[in-house]
Amino acid sequence: MSTEPVENAAPHVPAQRTEEPDLSVQETDSPEGASAAPQERGAPLLEVEGLEVHFPIRRGIVVERTVGHVRAVDGVGLKVDAGGTYGLVGESGCGKTTFGRAVLRLEEPTAGRVRLGDEDVTALKGERLRRFRSKMQMVFQDPLGSLNPRHNVDMLLAEPLKVHGVGSKAERRKLAVETLDAVGLPKSVMERYPHEFSGGQRQRLGIARALMLRPDLIVCDEPVSALDVSIQAQVMNLLDELQGEFGLTYLVIAHDLAVVRHLSDRVGVMYLGKLVEEADSESIYEHPRHPYTKALLSAVPQPDPEIEANRERIILKGDLPSPANPPSGCRFRTRCPWAEDICAEVEPEWREAASGHKVACHFDL
Amino acid sequence: MALLEVEDLRVAFGAATAVDGVSFTVDEGKVVGLVGESGCGKSVTSLAIMGLLPKGRPGKRRKAEPLQVAAAEPVGGALKAAVPQSVPVAGRGRKDGGAEVNGRAAFDGVDLLTLAPSAMRRKRGRDLAMIFQDPLSSLNPVVPIGRQITEVLERHRGLKGDKASKEAANLLDRVGIPDPARRLKEYPHQLSGGMRQRVLIAIAVACKPRLLIADEPTTALDVTIQAQILELLKDLVDSEGTALLMITHDLGVVAGLCDEVNVLYSGRVVESAPVRELFARPTHPYTVGLLGSIPRLDLGIHEPLTPIRGSIADVIRWKDGCAFAPRCDRVAEPCVAGEPALVGAVHAHRCVMAEEIA
Repeated sequence: MSTEPVENAAPHVPAQRTEEPDLSVQETDSPEGASAAPQERGAPLLEVEGLEVHFPIRRGIVVERTVGHVRAVDGVGLKVDAGGTYGLVGESGCGKTTFGRAVLRLEEPTAGRVRLGDEDVTALKGERLRRFRSKMQMVFQDPLGSLNPRHNVDMLLAEPLKVHGVGSKAERRKLAVETLDAVGLPKSVMERYPHEFSGGQRQRLGIARALMLRPDLIVCDEPVSALDVSIQAQVMNLLDELQGEFGLTYLVIAHDLAVVRHLSDRVGVMYLGKLVEEADSESIYEHPRHPYTKALLSAVPQPDPEIEANRERIILKGDLPSPANPPSGCRFRTRCPWAEDICAEVEPEWREAASGHKVACHFDL
Repeated sequence: MALLEVEDLRVAFGAATAVDGVSFTVDEGKVVGLVGESGCGKSVTSLAIMGLLPKGRPGKRRKAEPLQVAAAEPVGGALKAAVPQSVPVAGRGRKDGGAEVNGRAAFDGVDLLTLAPSAMRRKRGRDLAMIFQDPLSSLNPVVPIGRQITEVLERHRGLKGDKASKEAANLLDRVGIPDPARRLKEYPHQLSGGMRQRVLIAIAVACKPRLLIADEPTTALDVTIQAQILELLKDLVDSEGTALLMITHDLGVVAGLCDEVNVLYSGRVVESAPVRELFARPTHPYTVGLLGSIPRLDLGIHEPLTPIRGSIADVIRWKDGCAFAPRCDRVAEPCVAGEPALVGAVHAHRCVMAEEIA
């Protein structure tokens, strides 16, 4: 039975599910159920090696030629522990969103490997990939844009279950109500449509939908940046609670360093398609080693006039270079206040500067 | 006398009240912050001061009047984007989306709200200027940026031809755009977001205005670019003595830039104080809640946040009590017993329970 498509398998197992509808759904139904189940905290759940996503640049009207590539993600590797949160920070255009999408195979990687649990995600194809998607879900930045305006909450939440052939209509509804409760929305919203909600409530819906299949990994792409400050805090606290309740592993992608620090155990800083620094969230904020991280941290306005008055800002010159034609050597050198000749010639290696603290810079700053 | 004195400003779009009696002052050369979340009326306040709201007739109910085109001069995309989003126009209200503006906004003693459109046009861009959040929609996409700068110089300073171009290049140089002569011929889409914001600032400061209003000037930008722009604004304020009204939702930006702060909630000032005082002794529960909602880099890791519950939709009308009461943790009976007054001089707040809380 385990090799049957889920659609057929689902109707045969309802008795079990009504008793324990929470996590049992995936394990019983999905052929891959056991493979990516939550493991002991500490073992990596997600492993990414040398991931590359290059988009071809095409010219010509009749005959299209490829004249180059935008190297959106250019060799990024990282590990996320089961039950942990990895925060990926960077500015717009650094490739962090593309990376997140490539991990979920929403974008086809040009090279590299993604492993979730025991499954090589990059090797999956067709139906197996489609079914494996229930293990990994995404929360998007714009909650209004990612919810179908013509679907009410009931339909929105039931859809992932339908797609994966989970449960009967009544069971799907029951699960939807439970998930709504978990994200702090009352049952009474089931018949309502996305436009009837506030921004924060919509983001709760987006999170509820990602939770419906009880995934192992949730990629949160700028989960709070579209929200007002007071609502941001609500949603961040919610993400925290849900992690414990559902044993989730998060990959949080954001541009806001304070948000990432608050949510993550481990933080990676991306610049122009590459990681430039990675460490525990404590040490990366206490002792940033890469000039870019230093500049980023010094640029974040702090809600404290004393700190603001006394801080030394590292103001970076200019803008992000084009990822279609990245600078030679170190990619950050064109904006780096400490750049020397060697930076243009040799690409700095990805080295461990201190225990668990990796950095790509020639110097020890 | 303060440079700008806003007194009991009220703006309504049909049945929806966006600004419900806002008062504050901006002194010569000072940076004053207007802080609040979306829908609190901070942008509408600035548009009202600049006379950029579509006009409605004050104090009159509009019924079956024929649809009239708004009397305000065309101001491009920025206005269109700003008004209907923050203020839903009620179904039975004015069909043209016009605003009813009441109160007083005196600039150098002259009330801007009652000024004739032609007189306002002479002031706008010369004595007071504005920078919008989204530089791409505030710049004309089919006109080179050089022309968009010289337009202001021609209109207000009478500069023409080469002189104007030279001055435009100077301005671009002043706001930190490299190779200004070449950039003058470029179109907005050829510039990055930070560059576009710099161009907007160049246009705004072209006539050395005495008051600059910046509506979320860095919200659309990356952190490192935001730092550049904030530095530039600070520098302009310091060197030219321009007063700046900074409208933002980011208390971090406020802490670094402003001298005085007004916190807005649901169309009213709920707390106002000098910047250090406000951050050291936040008094209104909303201000306290905002500060508690921000994850901070200087505090311990994973320190729990204390968000404000509910959303801005949970609101009561100011005349019935404190609009923040439905979301406030310290709500008590006096809070909903009537209109709370703004008390205090230097550090003012609008909370009837402030004594008890402190």
